[in-house]
Amino acid sequence: MKATLKIDTVLNRFAEAVGPSLPIAIEGNRTRWGLNGLLKPGTSVISAPSGLVEYKPEEMIVTVRAGTTVQELDTCLADHRQRTSLPDRGGTVGGAIAVGHNDLHKLGKGSVRDAVLQLRYVSAEGKVITCGGPVVKNVTGFNLHKLMVGSFGTLGFIAEVTLRTNPTPLRQLWIQTSMDPKIIFDTLQRPSAILWDGTTTWVHLEGHPPDVDAQYALLTKSGKVYESETGPSLPAHRWSIPPVDIFSLEKTLMGRFVASIGVGTVWAEQPQEERKLDRATLTITERMKKQFDPTSRLNPGRNLGNWS
Amino acid sequence: MSFIDKIKNLIKPSVFEDVFVAELVAALSPERVRFDATERFLHSHDSSVFDEGNAGPICFPITTREVQTIMRISEKHGRSIVARGAGTGLAGGAIPLGAPVVVVMTKMNKILEIDIDNRVAWVEPGVINLDLSRYLQPFGFHFAPDPSSQQVCTIGGNVANNSGGPHCLAYGVTDAHVLALEIVLPDGEVATIGGLDPEPVGFDLRGAFIGSEGTLGIATKIAVRITKNPPTVRTLLLSFSSMRAAAETVSAVIAAGIVPAAMEVMDQRITIAVESFVGAGYPTDAAAVLLVEVEGLVDGVQIDASNIREIGFKHGATDVRVAETDNERELLWKGRKTAFGAIAQIAPDYYLHDTVVPRSALADVLEKVNEVAERYDLIVMNVFHAGDGNLHPLLLFDAREEGMLEKVHAAGAEIMRISLDAGGVLSGEHGIGIEKQAYMDELFTTEDLNHQNRLRYAFDPQCRSNPGKILPAGHSCADIQSLKNVPQGVWG
Amino acid sequence: MDLKLDSEELNTCVHCGLCLPHCPTFRITGEEALSPRGRIRLMQEIQTNDQMVTKEALASFETCIQCRGCEPACPSGVPYGSLIEQTRKTLVQENRILPRWQRIPYHVLTRPRLLRFLSRLLTIANKVHLIPKRFAIPKNIPFFNKPLIPSGTDVYLFTGCVMDAWQRETHQAGKRVLEHLGFGVTPTGDRVPCCGALHTHAGLGTKAQEIAENVINSLSDNERPILVDSAGCGAALKDYGHLLGTEEALAFSSRIFDIHEWVEKHIETFAVSSKLSLRVAIQDPCHLRHVQRSHRAVRNVLEPFVDEVIELNDDGLCCGAGGAFSIFQPDLASKARDQKIAVINEKQCDVVASANPGCSMHLQQGGIDIRHPMDIIDEAISLKTIPSDL
Repeated sequence: MKATLKIDTVLNRFAEAVGPSLPIAIEGNRTRWGLNGLLKPGTSVISAPSGLVEYKPEEMIVTVRAGTTVQELDTCLADHRQRTSLPDRGGTVGGAIAVGHNDLHKLGKGSVRDAVLQLRYVSAEGKVITCGGPVVKNVTGFNLHKLMVGSFGTLGFIAEVTLRTNPTPLRQLWIQTSMDPKIIFDTLQRPSAILWDGTTTWVHLEGHPPDVDAQYALLTKSGKVYESETGPSLPAHRWSIPPVDIFSLEKTLMGRFVASIGVGTVWAEQPQEERKLDRATLTITERMKKQFDPTSRLNPGRNLGNWS
Repeated sequence: MSFIDKIKNLIKPSVFEDVFVAELVAALSPERVRFDATERFLHSHDSSVFDEGNAGPICFPITTREVQTIMRISEKHGRSIVARGAGTGLAGGAIPLGAPVVVVMTKMNKILEIDIDNRVAWVEPGVINLDLSRYLQPFGFHFAPDPSSQQVCTIGGNVANNSGGPHCLAYGVTDAHVLALEIVLPDGEVATIGGLDPEPVGFDLRGAFIGSEGTLGIATKIAVRITKNPPTVRTLLLSFSSMRAAAETVSAVIAAGIVPAAMEVMDQRITIAVESFVGAGYPTDAAAVLLVEVEGLVDGVQIDASNIREIGFKHGATDVRVAETDNERELLWKGRKTAFGAIAQIAPDYYLHDTVVPRSALADVLEKVNEVAERYDLIVMNVFHAGDGNLHPLLLFDAREEGMLEKVHAAGAEIMRISLDAGGVLSGEHGIGIEKQAYMDELFTTEDLNHQNRLRYAFDPQCRSNPGKILPAGHSCADIQSLKNVPQGVWG
Repeated sequence: MDLKLDSEELNTCVHCGLCLPHCPTFRITGEEALSPRGRIRLMQEIQTNDQMVTKEALASFETCIQCRGCEPACPSGVPYGSLIEQTRKTLVQENRILPRWQRIPYHVLTRPRLLRFLSRLLTIANKVHLIPKRFAIPKNIPFFNKPLIPSGTDVYLFTGCVMDAWQRETHQAGKRVLEHLGFGVTPTGDRVPCCGALHTHAGLGTKAQEIAENVINSLSDNERPILVDSAGCGAALKDYGHLLGTEEALAFSSRIFDIHEWVEKHIETFAVSSKLSLRVAIQDPCHLRHVQRSHRAVRNVLEPFVDEVIELNDDGLCCGAGGAFSIFQPDLASKARDQKIAVINEKQCDVVASANPGCSMHLQQGGIDIRHPMDIIDEAISLKTIPSDL
């Protein structure tokens, strides 16, 4: 058997714990616990194993078990001035991937789904499945690892992931202004975040120091700009809309909001109206669930389609 | 065998075919459905070396509705379908097995909408990759994936193969640039998967569909992300007296925390062939050349370029040249992107491999690849996306020599194993198609492959979309319905 | 069937497909059968595996415009032009394409008086709408032509067949430009009635060889350069070495220059004092760009005389004229023209310059204001001389 196919004993033990029958749920740090349905009461809950498996800074690749916190991962990467696109909200790596929400700095860091190179999950049959591959470019077989991102543990429990890392930019800077965020978005080459609450715009610049200075200078040419300690505080509910819709949406639906310009993520006081899948997509979704978890034993109660 | 099937077998097989074709003709138009031997012969091939293709009727739809109708008629007759773009695939992904309907998407080639504010373009699948970037040029944008065949390959084909290209090092492959898709499922239903919003609801079916090599359905509309053109671009050409030095430079650049837009290596043989075609000023006396492109804001580009230059010299570069003009830069890239075709100057046939290895293993793997070629007495050339660790060893041969093909395949298999042993994967951008099916179980367990099969079932429960691809024999969707009753026609 | 193709040439194609977007018929239809790769694959199958030539294969070969736009795009250097010419030649010999009645017009081309006579008839017939529109006969064929009078013996100006009958004004203009540069010009006139380019394209290769021998014999009493203002003729004349395969023909071909190449060589003798206020878009004739590969000269020669020279954004994709192609394949030809017109309309230009009579007639039919570069330069020169006379 090839070395790449070898599964370490920690994962095998996790797979045994998941087993092949009875309802079971997985938890990380429960930072996004209430999303996509509530867990069926009485379901036994387990956690994924944690720990760094392998970090090759010169390859810009890191393999980590799903139960590791994002903070631990970040600390380890920081030693080599690297980072991933995962957001740190106090949760675990597995949780961040299972939820699939992007970091605030998506424009600079990239999206969560693009960071996952290889993924191992425990299937409803209690087996460790490997998908993707441990290199930065790969089209070998079906993209199961993409499917797992944002699937809320309903198809399998994420056990271990290999992530792409990136160099952390040398200079980072938050600035604040009352300029039109649209103009800022069109003016700047690669901001890492532009946040707008309807009146004030916060911009996060990063890169080589002279580039950051140049972008800053460019903005001061068109309006008043101040350096800022941090970005704005974010309301609780997360919206996902086509980026420019924020300018036409009825803001009263949201309450106080902060929108990520050019991305389409909006944090608002009010929750977003339920988004619906079209009929054919719903059919695929339900078939997918049936294929991977025929008895609906994984995370019962969580629902991304309309399955029973 | 059912009673009906028995009766069917008694009747001349072509009768069923005639009914089938007649229904397709009625649904489309006579000039957009072909069933003659010549067209079937042409559509049984793509850019790959595989000869076992057998195309059924060929359809040229122009609307989503027509694609739906083709799917439904095929379903009714229990026939499979294979989508085809420009036919530039190298792994045989578009080669029809078992006389399926070949659905050629090249006539669906409209750019439907450019939405600059959302940074999105909606296109039909037959739009040529480079045509889109050219169309976007006046707006200051481009479509980032730039496979070497970009002047001819279609965006639908890019979606099917999750295509890469030199500049995917910094920007990511097709998957990172496709936001939403309208797809027609094998049963004729239309689904819109993904979305223009950053975190669409439900499973990432979009991510599952991209790179599925036409096995999940046919994309009929594609929303692609458009990327702002960088204000500054600098292209460096580094010459080396050994391939090892070039490979080590690549690893060192990445290790130094620099992610260039592109890093490409060519060995001496290929450099000579390319230079005689483009005359870009490639050094033909260097053992290897490294083409590096950095882009972004002017100061950062300057910093990166000078760091790369320094790293290059530290690792044995004999010369570092910076392209002075746009024209010089374009010529260098034209050379790199036409490298494969230029091979015919040396031998009439080539077998192009495509594996990925960890970047730090590049130098060792290349040496082993050369050993294999030597042992088999074959000429090997190397031109590859070094920054991604994506190797493209080319084996040159003349297929007319007896026993040559077997030799080439045996050498190819060894090269693949070397890559896997180094911790790599089977394919970086060409896909599995029919080329690498047999090797899938060296990278995945039976159980892993079984799960891939499940993903496939969710889209295509009858396994009618491009059957016999990706998964190795033994997995249900790998089986081809054997349609022996479709005669190959006069050219049999 | 043996197409009598050189098997080495045929084997050069590795089917990479990089030629596809440069093929006008593939661009229009998106069909493999109407692409260079598809056509070569058919040739290979027919010749190597001794298959019969189906009617679909015939259609594939007959719809090739022979613009040879695929050749510069081919990194393997497949000599596509020579493959398709030989294929058609074999098919004509086997009586599979070009029925005898279609060969009649080709006989007229080598008989200048008859050609002029028929041209007049055609003009009249066209004026009274006797000729169906799809044949796309130009409306402005002159009824009478002023004779071209020799002005010296420095260079020959190759006058050809249809161009001499229908566009002699351009010859006059080219001749004046050459004279302005100080060259005495001998028009070749009726003693060299035709270059045989159209014959080669049609598959009448044997006739073309006969014509070529005649041309060489008629112009070999001295070593004068032979200048050509029709891209198609120039390409054919430059190819005589290959067509006949003799040393003599090779030597003859080396005397051939496109008129723009010649003028470019002597451009510094031009004293440019006035420009036409024109923005000129350049439409490269395929046989200048893809075959002779001397299209740069057109720009260099025109630039001093106009406000702006504008490049079209289509990599020199064929306009669909293709000699007699627009007559035999009117549908594909007009679609190719539509593509070209769309590309022209993207640009802000006053006039389009094209150095080939076929292209200009074809595009004129599509409503494009098109002139030969020599006509434009001639006008600029005449402007300049007027004030100096005052």
